[in-house]
Amino acid sequence: MKLLTHNFLSSHVKGVGPRGFPLRLQASEVRIMPVEFNPDFVARMIPKLSLGEVPTEPIQGYEQNEDFLRTMHHILLEVEVMEGTLQCPESGRVFPITRGIPNMLLSDEQTEA
Amino acid sequence: MAAGPGDRNSGPAASVRFFCTAGRGLEPFLMREVRVRLQAKQVEYVSGKVFFTTCSDLNMLKKLKSAERLFLLIKKQFPFNVSSVNKGKICNEMQRLINDDPESWLNTISIWKNLLELDAKKKRLSQRDANLLKRKMGENDTVITKKLKAEQMQKTQENREYQLEKQAEEETLAQGNFLTSREKLQLEECQNEAAEAAGTPSQNDLTFRVSCRCSGAVAKTFSAQEVGRIIGIALMKQFGWKADLRDPDVEIFIHLNDIYSVVGIPVFRAPLASRAYIRTAGLRSTVAWAMASVAEIKAGALVLDPMCGLGTILLEAAKEWPDAHYVGADVSDAQLRGARDNLKAAGLEDKIALLQVSVVELPLPSESVDVIISDIPFGKKFKLGKDIKSILREMERWESGAQKDELSQDHTATTTQQSSHRRTVQ
Repeated sequence: MKLLTHNFLSSHVKGVGPRGFPLRLQASEVRIMPVEFNPDFVARMIPKLSLGEVPTEPIQGYEQNEDFLRTMHHILLEVEVMEGTLQCPESGRVFPITRGIPNMLLSDEQTEA
Repeated sequence: MAAGPGDRNSGPAASVRFFCTAGRGLEPFLMREVRVRLQAKQVEYVSGKVFFTTCSDLNMLKKLKSAERLFLLIKKQFPFNVSSVNKGKICNEMQRLINDDPESWLNTISIWKNLLELDAKKKRLSQRDANLLKRKMGENDTVITKKLKAEQMQKTQENREYQLEKQAEEETLAQGNFLTSREKLQLEECQNEAAEAAGTPSQNDLTFRVSCRCSGAVAKTFSAQEVGRIIGIALMKQFGWKADLRDPDVEIFIHLNDIYSVVGIPVFRAPLASRAYIRTAGLRSTVAWAMASVAEIKAGALVLDPMCGLGTILLEAAKEWPDAHYVGADVSDAQLRGARDNLKAAGLEDKIALLQVSVVELPLPSESVDVIISDIPFGKKFKLGKDIKSILREMERWESGAQKDELSQDHTATTTQQSSHRRTVQ
């Protein structure tokens, strides 16, 4: 699971609502995977991110700041959490991440197709 | 009629008429695709086939995503009138497909040969360019000899061409100190063209096979095998070609029905619809691509398939529109495993994220998703745990007012916008 994906996830435990973001991430196995740098893509993703306690307006001209974009690219796209857990900050419910895929099924039933 | 095969930088190639078979309902997508991708002209369609003219080379033609198979057009004409006439007369009419106009057959065959040769040549040239670059990077001659030999061992080429190239390289290296690398390249080119001329079958010793499809009134009088035999014999008589049912040089494809009689040569052995980059297909790749094209995925979009299964739709979308973030979700372990394999095999793991979640309990904040595309499970193979109404309600919660496409029970794609206005897209 990439950190970019993690930034879009919010707990769906009943009754939690917007207090379910962000999910607390604990990683036991992390891999760094090189990904081709696409500055335009990174620049477009940045306004979509929820970055918590930061000023809502990004610094002027961040789209042209290559160093900044490369750093964001590395953090968001090249860090891959292979094993770990995601925890709902409000309810405390824990969801495992296995082989890069978070399992956030609330009920225990899984459909085997 | 075809462009000169010898020049690397030949002028604009001649326009060639093709047709593609397409799944029903996909013809409008294919028509748009050939106009956009190939700048095709004279685009027309008749149930299940799209006809068009273009100068594009094989590389571009290979990229068509909404077509089943691609053919060079030999003939398209009115259907055979089977109503009252006797069998013998219709037999004659079928033979006239060939005998009235043998020129167009021979023309199309030579266009087909040129297309394939041009393609093979481009591949060889680009490999040789890669080798030349390595040479230029300051290696000495003995190292080059050994390296070239090693590289050649790894190349996969037809045996005959490989042998000749190897000889050519060794000969040129023997004279090595006298020739510049540019001259070596020219020598190799000459020798390869000689090899090609020797290797390609001339018009007279072409082997062929006839593949026939009959439907409608014609099929009531003639079986596909009968038609195949009539045409096959006429071809042998007219051109002296030999039939080879197992591994022919060229395949002749004939489709006869109530609307048209069409004859063509398939350009590729494998159908375009079977993608090299998809290991295990779920939804048909052509339909998946068409759905993704309706979604109008813009750069920087967050695209979600909440019931992604093996990930076919996301694979087609990420391949064509790579500048978006794709997320696939499914409840099933087995499906996600298959999806992960598919992503790896296609090299698209960086573009597509997978989640094991239920569509009615997606961990996504409201209005966070730009595009939702899905093939909703129905029927016997896959079951939908919750009812479709609650699923659509959830979808409306997280989509941000842009598009979503779903494939519903009768396989018509539905585009829904936040105002819950329903439009059917065919």
